[in-house]
Amino acid sequence: MKINNLTKEEVLHNLVTSENGLSEEEAKRRLSEFGLNEIEEVKRTSLSIKFLKQFIHFLAILLWIGAGLAILSEILHPGEGMLTLGLAIIGVIFINAIFTFVQEYRAEKSIEKLRLLLPFYVKVIREEKEKEIPARDVVPGDLIILSEGNKVPADSRLIDTTYLMLNNASLTGESEPVPAQHKPCEGEIIESRNIAFAGTTVVSGSGKAIVFATGMGTEFGRIAHLTSAVEAGLSPLQKEIVKVTRIIAFLSTIMGVLFFFIGHLIGIGFWENFIFAIGIIIANVPEGLLPTVTLSLAMGSQRMAKKKALIKTLTSVETLGSVTVICTDKTGTLTQNRMEVKEIWTADYRKIPPSPPFSKSPFCPPLIKGDIGGLSGGMGGLDSYEWLIKTAYLCNNARFINGEYKGDPTETALLKYARENIGELKSERLHEIPFDSERKRMTTVNKILEMEILSPRFPPSPIPRFYALTKGAMESVLPICKYILRNGKITSLDEALKKETTDAYHSLMDKGLRVLSFAYREAGDSSGVLQYAPTFIETDMVFVGLIGIEDPPRPEVSEAVRKCREAGIKIIMITGDASRTAVAIAKEIGLVKGSPFVIEGHEFVRMSDKELREKLTEEEIIFSRMTPKHKMRVVSILKEEGQRVAVTGDGVNDAPALKKADIGIAMGIAGTDVAKEASDMILLDDNFATIVNAIEEGRAVYDNIRKFISYIFSSNIPEIVPYLAYILFRIPLPLTIIQILAVDLGTDMLPALALGAEKPTEGIMKQPPRDPKERLLNLRLLTRAYLFLGPIEAAAGLFGFFYVLKSGGWQWGQMLPSDNLLYMQATTACLTAIIVTQVANVFACRSFRESVFKIGLFSNKLIFIGIAFEILLQIFIVYHPWGNRIFATAPISLNIWLILIPFAVFLFIAEEIRKVFLHQIYHT
Amino acid sequence: MYKKILAAVNEHINSEISARYALNLAKACKAKLYICFIAEKDASPSSIEMAENAVKRLFMQAREMDIKVESIAETGNPLKEIEKIVKHEGIDIAFAATRREDIEKRFYAGTFARRLSLNLPCSVALVRVVHMGRLHPHKILVPLKGGVGYIKERAHFIAKMAEAFGSKVFVFHATKPITKFFHGEIHITPIEWEKRLPENIADFMKHLKRHKIEYEGKLLPGAVARSITIEAASKRHDLIIMGASERSLLISILKGNPVEAVLREAPCDMIIFKPHHENK
Repeated sequence: MKINNLTKEEVLHNLVTSENGLSEEEAKRRLSEFGLNEIEEVKRTSLSIKFLKQFIHFLAILLWIGAGLAILSEILHPGEGMLTLGLAIIGVIFINAIFTFVQEYRAEKSIEKLRLLLPFYVKVIREEKEKEIPARDVVPGDLIILSEGNKVPADSRLIDTTYLMLNNASLTGESEPVPAQHKPCEGEIIESRNIAFAGTTVVSGSGKAIVFATGMGTEFGRIAHLTSAVEAGLSPLQKEIVKVTRIIAFLSTIMGVLFFFIGHLIGIGFWENFIFAIGIIIANVPEGLLPTVTLSLAMGSQRMAKKKALIKTLTSVETLGSVTVICTDKTGTLTQNRMEVKEIWTADYRKIPPSPPFSKSPFCPPLIKGDIGGLSGGMGGLDSYEWLIKTAYLCNNARFINGEYKGDPTETALLKYARENIGELKSERLHEIPFDSERKRMTTVNKILEMEILSPRFPPSPIPRFYALTKGAMESVLPICKYILRNGKITSLDEALKKETTDAYHSLMDKGLRVLSFAYREAGDSSGVLQYAPTFIETDMVFVGLIGIEDPPRPEVSEAVRKCREAGIKIIMITGDASRTAVAIAKEIGLVKGSPFVIEGHEFVRMSDKELREKLTEEEIIFSRMTPKHKMRVVSILKEEGQRVAVTGDGVNDAPALKKADIGIAMGIAGTDVAKEASDMILLDDNFATIVNAIEEGRAVYDNIRKFISYIFSSNIPEIVPYLAYILFRIPLPLTIIQILAVDLGTDMLPALALGAEKPTEGIMKQPPRDPKERLLNLRLLTRAYLFLGPIEAAAGLFGFFYVLKSGGWQWGQMLPSDNLLYMQATTACLTAIIVTQVANVFACRSFRESVFKIGLFSNKLIFIGIAFEILLQIFIVYHPWGNRIFATAPISLNIWLILIPFAVFLFIAEEIRKVFLHQIYHT
Repeated sequence: MYKKILAAVNEHINSEISARYALNLAKACKAKLYICFIAEKDASPSSIEMAENAVKRLFMQAREMDIKVESIAETGNPLKEIEKIVKHEGIDIAFAATRREDIEKRFYAGTFARRLSLNLPCSVALVRVVHMGRLHPHKILVPLKGGVGYIKERAHFIAKMAEAFGSKVFVFHATKPITKFFHGEIHITPIEWEKRLPENIADFMKHLKRHKIEYEGKLLPGAVARSITIEAASKRHDLIIMGASERSLLISILKGNPVEAVLREAPCDMIIFKPHHENK
């Protein structure tokens, strides 16, 4: 038993209130117990805490320890430059924290937008008096007064209504107002007509209602709760980065500690050994990785914005690339939402193509047009086609104003077709039973002036007649029809005719048309309308025909669907349309090939999660006659099964599903502010094809991240090897820690970013979605970086270092002070060697398999900008006094640069040869 | 198990709603219902009148439902007086409504509900009223933790509540995600999770089966309190029945308290149930 099932008296009894309203004292008491009638955001981790967390993860702690020890070393042994090192490490921690936070940051305003849908003041009856109070003070048991234009402040049970029409768009997504009533209703609260929900609007009429739920207890509060509480969790990229940082931190620690002990065993002093251990850790940590990933995602989001996909959370750029399922709406996303009458069926003509020349119809009586625009003849005087078109015209809320059709797209299509065929019609609408999703039909009662010949001696004169005109879904209209209009005569609708009509209905739907049925009946006599009660006007009607409306698919959608198929992405259509229409459209755009599994809304509600889980494994599945509130369940189950889900939505009640999905996609044109705020991506053109373009870009971003990880990790080896040589061969340290940071956070950054801007490769959408088990940092990538590219760079670095030392007269075993010019030139040569080979490496890393000549040497102009930056920065470091001071370098002669170039050429050629071999192996 | 049920009523409407749950349980258990109102010494006449009216309404409703009923009105400290009644009448289970302070204050800070739950020598059901429109809950969400004890009494209470309202029970267990240091969180499908269902929860479901109650089980990884409220909101559950918190003050401060968190964010009515045996 629920509040909607009760009579007015029972409602008052259960809520312990009366028609005189609550007393102020009781209202105050209830307010103290139930709290304010407000939408609250559920408690979440604050932004400051989220930011602080970036400083306490495993890698950060490791770096803090390093920085702490470096500063301690400075205190104990001043003048060794350890303070600079400590501060540099702290700088690295901050840089990483800021960039990771930027990746995760997302302005959360969906609750703010929801709050705007609630009223600020409301009229209530308290202590027998009508009062206006702040809506936040409304309590359960309050008697509220509703009139046109009011917003409903809380979930309330209607106890009195006068032609009350509510717009429930904020809850159901349906823009059509629904009639409300105050009598007891069976079924669930959410589907009841006698409930006014918080956040809905009174379109017309008036009523009184008793509040039974306030604030977060309301249906609106439920949406707010889900919207703010549901979290999609870490994105695949974030998870991978956590794994990468943990692996790196672990490896660095092991290496640092291991070589610290080796150093200790071979008799190196503690502090020297300590500097070495810190150096090993710093050399292992790719300090520039997180900033580069973040900037690369930002660039990806810019590219997507140009393709009309606005990204709200940076990590979503990559998440898009990993999507395995897209749950999409039909109307407006797959189709153009530009309705057009395509086919007509009546019992007279069976089928008429659109826009027949009305006057040329051999069966159609001449139409009298003009100011009165009446119908010719009496009830039996018109053929069914004419009746059909006139019903479509008059039982219609769309309008033709200033040369433009305005209104719901379906109604606009009907009005346009009717108007273009029969011109203007005038009629007085006396009554309307509006369309709603439950009844699936609308009826109007119209007064129509018909021209009748009363006497042969006089011209025809206008006689008022009253008709009930109905349009709606077949399953709703046919049961209320007793007759059918055929050849101008009203005939009994027998089983054979019913079957014929139903077959015609199915045949139109199978063409992907949205099919509406039309009927009429005489609702009065010369004195006026007999009754307005639906039980009277919507019974024993005369069926006149069917109109099939096409919402053509967007032209680019078929190609996008094909791309998805090739890319192994499953598309699930979730639509409010009938099954046959949905299937037909799905076939037209290539979404389904065979017989898809179709689940209708009513079946969906009855299914257990287990059953639904099984059905969702079907290769081709369509959900029809669905409402947005069902979406979150579909998304949740898909996610539980390990799918990476993208879902589209536009309404307020789509918000929880948009939040739950890995990628929530809101419609930029048709979407509500709440849906846009809850989403990760906004489609500026509402077009499905844009999603697929964004997925392609997302996949490219992931590939590119791997490319620059290869690039960044390659330079780790020439950073680590000098330290190993230093400890094992007792030579001067070939590369200082600050110089390592110059590479990782300086010279590597722009070329790496340029790799992040590589275009998607040709076959990127022909591969299945990335396996969730596939690692960002896999063995193949590490092998290539650490055992192939890295050693070449390390060899170049050590060659440069020893070349300078030897040229300066250095003898093996001789240790040089850190401010010795020769030593500084030698480390500068080592650093320069890394930079020069990294220039070649950036070309090598542009593709894992393809030759750089095949993908086009000049196809990514940013690479050259990156290289130019890299070289200019190195020139600054080598030749500018400030660069020398910061990085402890000294100018070197041009010939040093020149003798390092062959290493770069060698790296480039070796990589090209590797790719040739790999290509051959791959093709074999 | 429950032959004598006590419902504590005061001037607040939520106490009356809470007593209605007791009323229906009494009907299902064929138990005697005691409706008590303890007027505090400084209570205003209007508060007393409101409470007395509530007692009258409940009394009449119990009579209509053919439940043996007795009303008790006393003056004094509610906690002490209720304790006296429980002891004197041999009450099996007492119902009381939570107050605003239970949501605003930390539970362990010692609210009236907390003291009632700790001191009464009987089982206690503390009701938080959120939604006055769902008079008879059709869908009851029962979150259970892994090591939950006193299965028999819990199952009995929930089965009788379900029987009273003709409800379906949804047993829910939110568990910690499985993680590995280098791999992070390991994704496991619901079917695989089902195999990991703690024994006592499986045992609890067997008890429900014995009571011939329609039920469904679900196990999901995630933060406990947040998972419960999301499940309740997304599936439109009408009532949550949850065990009372067993966390110590220190653990609650350090790790939080799921019962408190659910109490604050429950999207529907909620009963915090404390079986009597847990006091011993």
